[in-house]
Amino acid sequence: MFEQEDDIVERVIQQLRRPVAIDPAMDARVMQAITAPRPSQRRVWPWLAAAALLGAVMFWRPWSRGSDAERPDILQFVLVAPHANSVSLVGDFNDWDPKRSPMRTANGIWATVVQLAPGRYRYAFLVNGVEWRADPGAPTALDDEFGTPSSVVTVGGKGS
Amino acid sequence: MILAVLLIVAQIGAQDPRLDRLDPDTRAQVTVVVDSARRVGLPAEPLIQRALEGATKGAPGPRIVTAVRRLSTDLGTARAALGDEASAPELEAGVAALRAGATPQVHGVRRPPLTMALSVLADLVASGVPADSAAAAVLALAPKARDADLVEFRRTVERDIALGAPPAAATSTRVNAGAVDIYSAGSNPGPARPRRP
Repeated sequence: MFEQEDDIVERVIQQLRRPVAIDPAMDARVMQAITAPRPSQRRVWPWLAAAALLGAVMFWRPWSRGSDAERPDILQFVLVAPHANSVSLVGDFNDWDPKRSPMRTANGIWATVVQLAPGRYRYAFLVNGVEWRADPGAPTALDDEFGTPSSVVTVGGKGS
Repeated sequence: MILAVLLIVAQIGAQDPRLDRLDPDTRAQVTVVVDSARRVGLPAEPLIQRALEGATKGAPGPRIVTAVRRLSTDLGTARAALGDEASAPELEAGVAALRAGATPQVHGVRRPPLTMALSVLADLVASGVPADSAAAAVLALAPKARDADLVEFRRTVERDIALGAPPAAATSTRVNAGAVDIYSAGSNPGPARPRRP
């Protein structure tokens, strides 16, 4: 019985040892497959380049690097009104809307800071929601057509 | 009929929503002026702001319409003096200078942008300086002065007037003293911090 099994094993071994015919071009194909760039690599690089370009554009922000003539200025508006309960800054820069630029007080000195693009703006202070006051520290608007005082501020764009 | 309705709807849709603060009649008249200005290439924003100023100050409708119409006319006059290439801020400053009494020849000063030069002229007149003196000062200083120099010049003249100097004399004295050279020599942009009007 054991002899019969040995015979079977011997035949299997011989079958496995028998040379197998392989395509001669197989080696070349294998090497080509190994050295070729992976599909994922081909897709990633353009995206990385685009992301780097976008990052550079966002960092440098060329659209915000206008000439001096377009550069905004930061202005502080101040009014001394010790007895006021509220003061708003209203003008051409906030659609004359008292809610847009409420001023903060410290010991009766009301102040706010506004960023303005170059231009000439009319403005006034609205005290307690009813009383109009011009800025004592700024030029007065000549053309006061509505019967209440207004002031003028000019933001230049050339070395201002 | 349908076309007319569509045109009216389109016109209502094109109206600036900020003008809703005006009563309907005033809003309609202001919109006509604003649209006319737009059609001839004049800036619409100053007209809208003037209307909003009137609304916030509680001015009657006819007064608001008159103010907006007058400003539109003056913007056209300023553009005729400054040229078609003038920017909206320059036109607004030009209106202020014209209303202050400046002649159109002042607008020919060679110093773009003209916004600050024309504004300083108008501001000096508002401080009591005669229009011809203010114009002469601006014509003398503007070609070589920076905007900051012109603002400082205006402040200095206003200070002198507040201390009792006659406005015309204060202006000419500061011009002759070469104030701009002094400001330019000592001026340094420095760190960015809020400045006062």
